[in-house]
Amino acid sequence: MSEAPLLQVERLSKRFPVGGRRGATLYAVDDVSFSLQPGESLGLVGESGCGKSTLVRLLARLLDSTEGRIVFDGQDLAEIPAKRFARHPLRSAIQLVFQDPTDSLNPRYTARDTIAEPCRLLGGMDAVATQARVDEVAAQVGLPTELLSRYPHQLSGGQKARVGIARALAPRPRLLILDEPTAALDVSVQAVVLQLLDRLRRELGLATLFVSHDLNVVRLLTDRVFVMYLGKMVEMGPSTAVFSQPAHPYTKALVSSIPGHGQRIRLDGEVQSPIDPPPLCRFRSRCQSVQDRCQREMPALRGESHVAACHFV
Amino acid sequence: MTSVPLLEVRDFSLEFRTRSGTVRAIEHVNLRLNKGEIVGLVGESGSGKSVLSYAMLGISDSAARVTGGSAVFGGIDLLSASESTLSDLRGREISMIFQSPRTALNPIRPVGRQIEDVLRRHAIATRGRTGPDMGQGLRERSVQALREVAIADPERRWSAYPFEMSGGMCQRVMIAIALACRPSLLIADEPTTGLDVTTQAAVMDLITGLARERQMATLFITHDLGLAAEYCDRIVVMHAGHAVESAPTKALFAAPRHPYTARLMSSTPGPESSLASLEPVPGQLPDLRRSDLPPCRFSERCIRASALCSDTLPLLDADAVHAVACWHPMEAAHV
Amino acid sequence: MNNTLRHVRHVLSENPVTMVAAALFGLFVLLAIFGPLIVPYDPLASGAAHALKPPSAAHWFGTDSLGRDILSRTIVATRLDLGIAVAAVVLSFGIGIALGLAAGYFGGGWDLTVTRLSDTIMAFPLFVLAMGIVAALGNTVGNIVLATAIINLPFYVRVARAETNVRRSAGFIEAARLSGNGDLRILALHLFPNILPPAMVQVSLNMGWAILNAAGLSFIGLGVRPPTPEWGILVAEGAQFIVSGEWWVSFFPGAVLMLAVFSFNLLGDALRDIFDPRKRT
Repeated sequence: MSEAPLLQVERLSKRFPVGGRRGATLYAVDDVSFSLQPGESLGLVGESGCGKSTLVRLLARLLDSTEGRIVFDGQDLAEIPAKRFARHPLRSAIQLVFQDPTDSLNPRYTARDTIAEPCRLLGGMDAVATQARVDEVAAQVGLPTELLSRYPHQLSGGQKARVGIARALAPRPRLLILDEPTAALDVSVQAVVLQLLDRLRRELGLATLFVSHDLNVVRLLTDRVFVMYLGKMVEMGPSTAVFSQPAHPYTKALVSSIPGHGQRIRLDGEVQSPIDPPPLCRFRSRCQSVQDRCQREMPALRGESHVAACHFV
Repeated sequence: MTSVPLLEVRDFSLEFRTRSGTVRAIEHVNLRLNKGEIVGLVGESGSGKSVLSYAMLGISDSAARVTGGSAVFGGIDLLSASESTLSDLRGREISMIFQSPRTALNPIRPVGRQIEDVLRRHAIATRGRTGPDMGQGLRERSVQALREVAIADPERRWSAYPFEMSGGMCQRVMIAIALACRPSLLIADEPTTGLDVTTQAAVMDLITGLARERQMATLFITHDLGLAAEYCDRIVVMHAGHAVESAPTKALFAAPRHPYTARLMSSTPGPESSLASLEPVPGQLPDLRRSDLPPCRFSERCIRASALCSDTLPLLDADAVHAVACWHPMEAAHV
Repeated sequence: MNNTLRHVRHVLSENPVTMVAAALFGLFVLLAIFGPLIVPYDPLASGAAHALKPPSAAHWFGTDSLGRDILSRTIVATRLDLGIAVAAVVLSFGIGIALGLAAGYFGGGWDLTVTRLSDTIMAFPLFVLAMGIVAALGNTVGNIVLATAIINLPFYVRVARAETNVRRSAGFIEAARLSGNGDLRILALHLFPNILPPAMVQVSLNMGWAILNAAGLSFIGLGVRPPTPEWGILVAEGAQFIVSGEWWVSFFPGAVLMLAVFSFNLLGDALRDIFDPRKRT
């Protein structure tokens, strides 16, 4: 009997109305479902326009969904409006580490202020408890105490990244979402932060959702991974399996584009528009193995533990 | 008998005068680029790689001062050339493409016109023609340029604005502008940073394909070792304003000789690495404003450092095939 | 606090023009506070015998048509002019920033209402509006302050709205929500401090403009009335004498007025530097 999942996402969709023709809708996230066990690390991979940023914001409850359920610990979070979620008891349970450490820190707050804020607001801690917690979490992420009184512009990229991670960890979340946390960092700093994230994950038993376009990095830090394309989930499975034996044609092309991964599959053809898409495979205009059936029928996710949305896996 | 290099940078030094001190951004750099060669200039942020390329084209920040050395291109020293000489060279003989295509393109002009601008400036396809003929010549050439960078339906796209195009397409337009006059040297400053992996591959394929086709030398600046490994013939590694190692790509990856290069490689996740195998570069980049910087700027965090490293500057031998600027280089590969 | 003072000194010493502007500003503030105590003559004391005397050792700025010392009157006027300007700017700033923040952050109905209001105000020339308010509410200094405040509202609304718009979707605002901040806290603690630097530049420019407004309105007889010394009135009183050659009656008050506006404008950049933590080394 397996544990109940920490997070269960069911048929989550987000559609934006776009100006112009009446009723034109942009399908940013379309019918996405997955679950996450406590302590599990799930990767989310996709390129720009695939909807991963929107999905991240839906899960972090910064954005309201159009349809679907986000069941966290038995409660459907989608029912709580994003506007009111800031003061909800479950706010501390789901935290987010942002991509750009510079953009995500208030330039007028010191590092200590930034990390202390969730302690006071979400943890209800007084000044003494907050101070202790800030020191504790700073030590966990390897941020020297003397740096805590500095402003963001006085910190290096790696140090700012640590502040962002510390802030996310301070209210003791159960689910940590990391949105490309090392994309804006130098290679040498990246390695340090990745090792830090892995250590924290193991020590704190956090469930993590790791979003990145860098497949090498995702492979290192995640147990399972899912691939998004134009708002839909096209493949999901154990990380090693998805990278070594990608099933979906898009994943195959993605993996082959990594420098050093052998023969590259060129993707020609126009990217489809995410506005009012017909209920067919979104990848059919660029797929190497496209056939007649793809123009008629929408592929469902097929497979056991390693699934792909393609008629021909 | 070695051929004359297309670009020869010798003993190049540059500093920035700032409010908080003088930043010795580049010191005694030797670099050589031969015709048709694709060289990767690899380094982290702060290594001076972009600063170097800007200085080549004379578009450095106003606080920059060249304090020594020469950069000879086709018999002209770029560092001491007049603005008008440089202006004639830019776009015609030496072109540059930049990191973020949207900001490099003029947002209020159709992309085709932007290509025409550079053609007109260097009087390509306009020679001998006047009036409407000139316009037609320019138009044809610019459409052709768009076609060469694999932009579908170039006649229609000619009148598109940058905001109507995706990041990858904007980058292609920038490449079209840069290559319109068939320069002999292309400097590509992080041209694929910020682009998706699949687009990145396509853009790099395009650049290197055109470079090989036209025997155009390319200086490819990047922080991504893996990318450089995939596309470059030779790689020059920079650290804190110094060129520390220069070698053909295969040789560099088979046996890096400079300790920094080795650490850089071991800290980059590759298809085979595991988290435990990642060895980050220890310490931080030294503050380049310090007056007490050791001659070898990596020595303070290098495990192989000795007293010699804090005493004398190791230099890169520009003539060696696999050159390293280090007093205690790692083992050379055995043939 | 030490850090702030050190930073202020650093900013001021960096640019000689800033030093000059700061010195002038300091001088005007001192005159406003201590002016009436240090004037050589009673600004209201008249004496027909000394009427329209040119500048001399006894009267540095000369005397006006009623024999009053112009230097004394000019110095004493500082308090009133600065007072009106400060009151108007503070009022304008407070209301304008708040409205702009709301418009930029909430968008929708707030944005629509506030921008329409702002557009309407901008359609009025100051003097027309001031005359309207004075006609409706009475010719007092208070109403002049009100009129000046209303006229300057759109500047603050615009700055606040634009800066808020830019930052509204910044990472740190989203992070603030994740940290448990409600809308009001975000506006007050995260957005307001960050839009302060550009707003402060606006304040300084506005001060100069507000001084000019106050003087201009008094010049045409609205608000402050003679014999109260006020730069605009002083210039008005001397206007008729320029043709007949007694240039000093208008000139000196006018020059001082110009200097005041000038120094406030120069101070704008320095204020921004002081308030922007990115400039701190």
